This record gives sequence, structure tokens and C-alpha cells, in this order.
Amino acid sequence: MKRKGFGFYLRIYIKILTQDLKSKMSYRADFIISTIGMIFTNIAGFVSFWILFRNFPSINGWSYHEMLFLYGFSLISLTPVQCFFDNNWSLRINVYNGDFIKYCFRPINLFFYYQSEVFDVKGLGQFAFGLGTLIYSWGKIGLDFTPLILLKMIVFLITASLIMIALQNAAAATCFWIQNSFYVMDLVFKFKDYARYPITIFTPVFRFVFTFIMPIAYIAYYPSLVILRPDDVPILSWLSPLIGCAFFWLSYKFWMFGASRYNGTGS
Amino acid sequence: MKLKKYLSFTRIGMMESLQFRLATVVIVIGNLLYLTIVFFLWKAIYASSGTDVVNGMTFSDTLIYLVLATALFNFMEMYTVWEMGRSIQSGKIVLDLLKPMDYRKLLFWSYSGSFVMNFFTTFLPTFIIVGIVTGGAIPLKLNLLYFVISVVLAIMINYSIDFIVGTICLFTESIWGINIMKQVIVLLLSGATIPIAFFPEPMKTIVLYMPFQSIYNAPLTLLLDGSPDMEDVLMILGTQLFWCVTMTVISKLFWKASLRQITVNGG
Amino acid sequence: MSKVIEIKNVTKEFKVLNRREGLKGSLKDLFSRDYKIVRAVDDISMDIGQGEIVGYLGPNGAGKSTTIKMMTGVLEPTSGEILVNGNSPYKNRSRNAQEIGVVFGQRSQLWWALPLVESFKLLKDIYQISDKQYDGIMELYSSLVDIEPLLHKPVRQMSLGQRTLSDILAAFLHDPKIVFLDEPTIGLDVAMKAKIRTLIHALNKERNTTVILTTHDMGDVDALCRRIVIIDKGKMLYDNDIEHLKGFFGSYRTLKIRLDGDMKTNAETVQKELPQFSVDSDDEWISVLVDEDKEKVIDVLAGLQKKHNIRDMKLEEISTEEVIKKIYEEGVE
Repeated sequence: MKRKGFGFYLRIYIKILTQDLKSKMSYRADFIISTIGMIFTNIAGFVSFWILFRNFPSINGWSYHEMLFLYGFSLISLTPVQCFFDNNWSLRINVYNGDFIKYCFRPINLFFYYQSEVFDVKGLGQFAFGLGTLIYSWGKIGLDFTPLILLKMIVFLITASLIMIALQNAAAATCFWIQNSFYVMDLVFKFKDYARYPITIFTPVFRFVFTFIMPIAYIAYYPSLVILRPDDVPILSWLSPLIGCAFFWLSYKFWMFGASRYNGTGS
Repeated sequence: MKLKKYLSFTRIGMMESLQFRLATVVIVIGNLLYLTIVFFLWKAIYASSGTDVVNGMTFSDTLIYLVLATALFNFMEMYTVWEMGRSIQSGKIVLDLLKPMDYRKLLFWSYSGSFVMNFFTTFLPTFIIVGIVTGGAIPLKLNLLYFVISVVLAIMINYSIDFIVGTICLFTESIWGINIMKQVIVLLLSGATIPIAFFPEPMKTIVLYMPFQSIYNAPLTLLLDGSPDMEDVLMILGTQLFWCVTMTVISKLFWKASLRQITVNGG
Repeated sequence: MSKVIEIKNVTKEFKVLNRREGLKGSLKDLFSRDYKIVRAVDDISMDIGQGEIVGYLGPNGAGKSTTIKMMTGVLEPTSGEILVNGNSPYKNRSRNAQEIGVVFGQRSQLWWALPLVESFKLLKDIYQISDKQYDGIMELYSSLVDIEPLLHKPVRQMSLGQRTLSDILAAFLHDPKIVFLDEPTIGLDVAMKAKIRTLIHALNKERNTTVILTTHDMGDVDALCRRIVIIDKGKMLYDNDIEHLKGFFGSYRTLKIRLDGDMKTNAETVQKELPQFSVDSDDEWISVLVDEDKEKVIDVLAGLQKKHNIRDMKLEEISTEEVIKKIYEEGVE
């Protein structure tokens, strides 16, 4: 048996993904409705923002367009977890009815196999929305656009997504131990909404909580500071990439640990 | 006896609710988190606005309103759409339709148990705490009676809307997109995330003509107003009653028509 | 013959939550939890060689699926040791998975919406099967079953029989050393059952694959297994050939008679007349299990003849089913 390298996993991933897309396309009504749902959600989010700012010119020194930047940033960083790790939402059902066991019999990494089965196309709509918002606010704020800044953007967007993925992974993995993990996933999912606000609105105590205990601040705030306030970047922002990777790795280990304790008694 | 039949659902619902102890803890944490964000956000907003009163509400007015809105949400949220959607997808709905009870009523009563529990575990404590913390800012007079009536009507409107959305699941494969869309729209347009007082003019009038504000805005307005005009009270309750009847009729008709569609076409 | 599975004194215990009854009980459960320890598998040992077809039998809840899960690496034994192909399946789940195939209960492991051939191709990549090997096995399959019409059908459009067939083919695709089949013929009609049994037999012969077959259908056992292992309440009851087992009950004969009228009602009457024997019936015959050590068949027949009009009769050895039933009820001396 040859060693299973990165190339192997990449090829398999594309193949499994393609199959999922093929089967999803066949459910057309569903596809359209879900996409519309996604668009409405984003519009509603945008509208609430807008309503708020009708009443107030700025919050804590952050202007409307800067907040919009954060908003767009958080939407984009949400895309990878939405698209590639969507199967996490079905985890507790698969575990509950015993279907999960069929993933355990294949000679490939369990986590990889499980996550590769589903690709959520709706996430792309969100990506487009976020990108649009980002570009719009970018223009309005009057930020520069150099290759270096673009590179920074990409790096920090990836960082932010890793955090979100890590949080969602850990939340999903709780289903191996508890019955009602849905509520935990729902809670973590809402983090993305809270991430839209700069943590300067909080007192130091809560700033600490949201940085180190429930790392909401890393989903959009810290990473985007590098772009928005390039002259005044806190150390934590530069550390974000490391923290992102670390969190992801930890959540992966946690997920696998839960899977290893799965004993198939759902059947 | 019919009532006994329905009440046995309540009993079982209560038992199931009790088993959700971890879920309760998670929900409480989620609420605390949400409220913390809300607190700081609005504090920052009011701080940057320069005036104490915006759109007729002070900071503490807004806060009390939002806290109670959250409590109401926890109390009223029935996840009907999920339940229906899953039941339809798995085919279990056929069994439910064969039972000697109208499906709509059956579903409603099966939630009644959790209503009772939720009232005592979420709404009442929150209400009491807010009362204490704000030093009795919530008036405790006849408005409580109006509030109770209002809430009952609100629940029924909410349920009807949920049921309509759930009926849509007969035609689609996925539940998620629709549910999220409904939740976001309802929460926004009912004044649960941002008090309607803050909506800019044309929006405000439009929203007041929709059924959604009858779910959250109406009961909360009645609760927080210690000395209301009888005329206003009757207006609000009357509007609610109107929507209650209308939505019930619409949901019943839609359900009937959809069932016919499906049973004719199979699936 | 090399030992491909070695199970040594394996025990598996589970912690099970005790849910209390009623509303008051639910309230109590809120504050404290009550556990009990269940021993699903109790000190089991067995060795299985390459190429054997072993029937793994036992009543529901006996511990069969638990043992199989341990052999496939999903569960870890509480104590004792399991070696599959010389490795611990739990510690090397991924590596072990390469050498085994599983058809587990009614859950298909194929991709639901895809045509069968796409599933096969995906498996080819996952198991790193070479083109040559793949072509070879597809040739073998077409010589054994009519696979062409199935290849382009999505699994979700297949009948139960076709799905089972496809799952079995998928399980053997990567030429594993061992294949675990859990109730493969359940819910199938007689013709399909025969087809599946022939297929399993042929694949075992062609590839010398070890087959562990869990089943409640004695037809499967008779058709495929020479060796059977019986487990009940977590304990090993029997592990040897079928013939051997029948030998234990050598004094038993099955007397089959045909009477006028409905077999079932007749059987009930006969059972009342002969309470000391086990009486069964199917569409055509009433079967009376007679222990010749206790009474001679001739005498029983004579007794029956006095009360009934016997249309036809035949005498058989004890059936596998009866043997198993007796073991479940009484154990082995």
C-alpha cells in the first residue's frame, strides 16, 4: 500500500466533492430556495446595520464604512467553514442513527472523509455578498490597494476562517458526548454575528473574555485591524495566523478523539 | 375525553424538556452572551450619539426592551419548521397524518409542554431579574394582564407563520435555508433585534402594517407602558387578534392545498 | 492455514444510563445520573483461518455486532486482545480498513445518488486499486452476475436485492483478506437469496477471502458455512463444524406429516396432543421433533395416525434451525 500523501487526498477530495455537487444539482427547487434564503439573510443583516447607522454616525470611533468593512470581512471568512465543513451540521444525526459507522470502515482519514462528502454551494453567495461589501467599504474609506496589502488580506482572511472552522468543529464534536449538541452549534454559529463589532466597545474584562476564552475577536476584528489601522496594529493581530492554525489543529484533535470513542450503539 | 388527549402531550413535552438540561445551560450561556454584546453595543451607540434619548428611548429603555425580547424569543421559539421539515423528509409525517387528530393542532399541543417549562425557566426569572436590577422599572399593574393576553395571541401568530413556512418544506428538500430566512426576517421586522422606534420613517410605517410586529413589539410595548391609553391598548390587541385569525386561516388553507398537491402527485 | 483473526479472552463492557420513569423521575435525572455496567461480550476467544466461511450466530442482543465492531476497529475491547492480520484493528483502524470489507446491516456504504460504476471508481481511488486489478475483478464480477444493467443505475433507484448485491460487490472490490457480512439476505426473496449465496460462495472460492457471516437465516448457514460460532449473552456457546453440532443431537429426528386443512391449526392441535415435543409448521408440512432416545418415531407416528388422517409423511435429520434453537434454549452439554 502506497503512502497516502497530499496529492492522494486532494484527488479524492475533488472526486467526492464533484459527486456531491452532481447530486445536489439534481434537487433544483431546493437549491434555489436555499440560495434565496441565504441572500435574504445577508440582506437582513445588512439592513439591520443600515438602520442602526441611520440613527448614529459612529460607534466608538468607528465609522459606518469601517463597520461595513468588518461586516464584509466576517462574511468572507465565514465562507470556507460554510462551504467545506457543512457536514458538521449532520454529524449529530449520523451519530444518533448509527450511519456514522460507515465512515469508519474506509482506509482514509475519518475527518477528511466525513467533511469531503458535502459542499455547500450557498456559501458562495455569501462570499459574493461579503466581497461586494468589502470592496464598497474599501473604496469609501479610501484605503490603498497594493499587492502587499492584498497579500495581507488573504493571509488574514484565511486566519479568520481557520478560527471559525475550529470553533464549528469543536461544537459539532460535542455530539459525541452530549445529546443536544445542536444548541451548542447554534450558539457558536451566532458568534459570527457578534464578530461584526470592534471589541473596543467592551470593558477590558470582556475584551479579555472575547479574546482568550471565546475567541470571537479573532473572527474579524484582530485580523482586519492590520488593514484598517495599519499604523496601530496590536501584537495580537500579528499573532492571529498562529492562533488560527493552533485552534484548527486542536479542534481537529478534539473531533477525532470524539470519533474514536464512538461505539456505534446508535444502531 | 379530548382535553385529556391533548394534555398527555403536555406531560410528555414537560418530561422531554427536563431531559434537556445541558441544552438549557447552553441556551442560558447563549443568551448571556447575546445580552452582553447588546449591552456594550448600545452603550457605545448611545455614548457616541451625544444625547440621552434617541427616538424616544433612553439607554435603559432600549436595554430592557431587548432583554425582554430575548426572553420572549426563548419562550416562544418552537423550532416548528425544523420539526415539520424533518418529519416530512423522513416520511414520518405520514404516520402523524394518520393519527386521529388534526396535524396542526397535534403539533401545537406537543409544544405546549415545553411552553410551560420555558415560561418558568426562562421568561419568569429574566423578568424578575430585570425588575430587581432596574429597581422596578417595569410597572406591575394592569399592563401585566394586557401583556399576558398579548403573548397568547403572539404565540398563535408565531405558530401560524412557522406552520406556513414548515408547509413549504413539503415542496423542497432542505429545511435550513427557509428556516434561517424566516427567523431572520421575523426577528428583524418584529422589532426583536432593533426596536421599531429606531426604524427610519418609510420603513417604520410599512413594518407596522405587517403581522411580525404583533409577535414581539406588541406584547413588549404593552408590558413596558405603565399607564397606557385604553384606546392604544385596544388598537394593539385588536391588530393582534386580526393577524391571529388571518394567519391561522392562511396556514390552514395553505396546508390543505399543499397536502392535496402532494398526495395527488405522490412523494 | 494461517490465522487471520485471533481473539483472545476479549471482554467488552458498556456504561449505560439508567433513565428513571415518570415526571418525578425526570426531575431527579436532572440532578443526578444513575449508571449501570453492561457486559456485552464476556471472555470470548476464537481463531479464524484464511479462506474460512464462518457463520456467526446468536439471538438478538447476544453481542454479535459488538464483536464485529471490535474486529473492524470501531470499538476497543475492555480487556483481552484482538489481532486481525497480525494487527490490532483498533490501534490501526485505517491500515486495517484496507484489508477488510464490510457490509453492515441495512446501511449501504455506497454513494446514494451515484450510478454504481461511479461508486466503484471512487472506491478504486480510495483503496488505491491498480487499473489491472480493477479490470480483473470487474471481469470476475461479470462472469458471476449480470452486472451490466446495474452499473449505470444510481443506488437509490435499486431494489433491495440489487442494493445488497452491489454492496457485496463493493466490499470485495479491493480484494480484502476478510469480509464481514451482517445479515446480507435479510428481506430478500428466495430467488435473490440464492443468487447472493452463490455469489458469496464463488467469491470465497476465487479469492480465498475469509468471510464472517452474521445471520438469522438458517438457509444461509446451510448453504455457506461449514463452521459456526454461537454466542449468547456475551458468552461463547459453540465453535465448531455444523456436522459436529448435529452430531450432538444425533438422536433427534424430524417427523414431517401432512394433514388435511390448514397446517397451522393442525399444528396447534398436534402440539396439544404431544406437549413433550416441539411442533412447528410451514405451508406444507407439520414438523415434530422427536428424541429417539426417549420415544421411537414409529410409536409417535402410530399415535398420530389414530387421531388424524395422515396424507403424507417424511423423516429427516434434525434441521440446523432446530439445532440452533435448542442451543439458544438449553446450551450445549
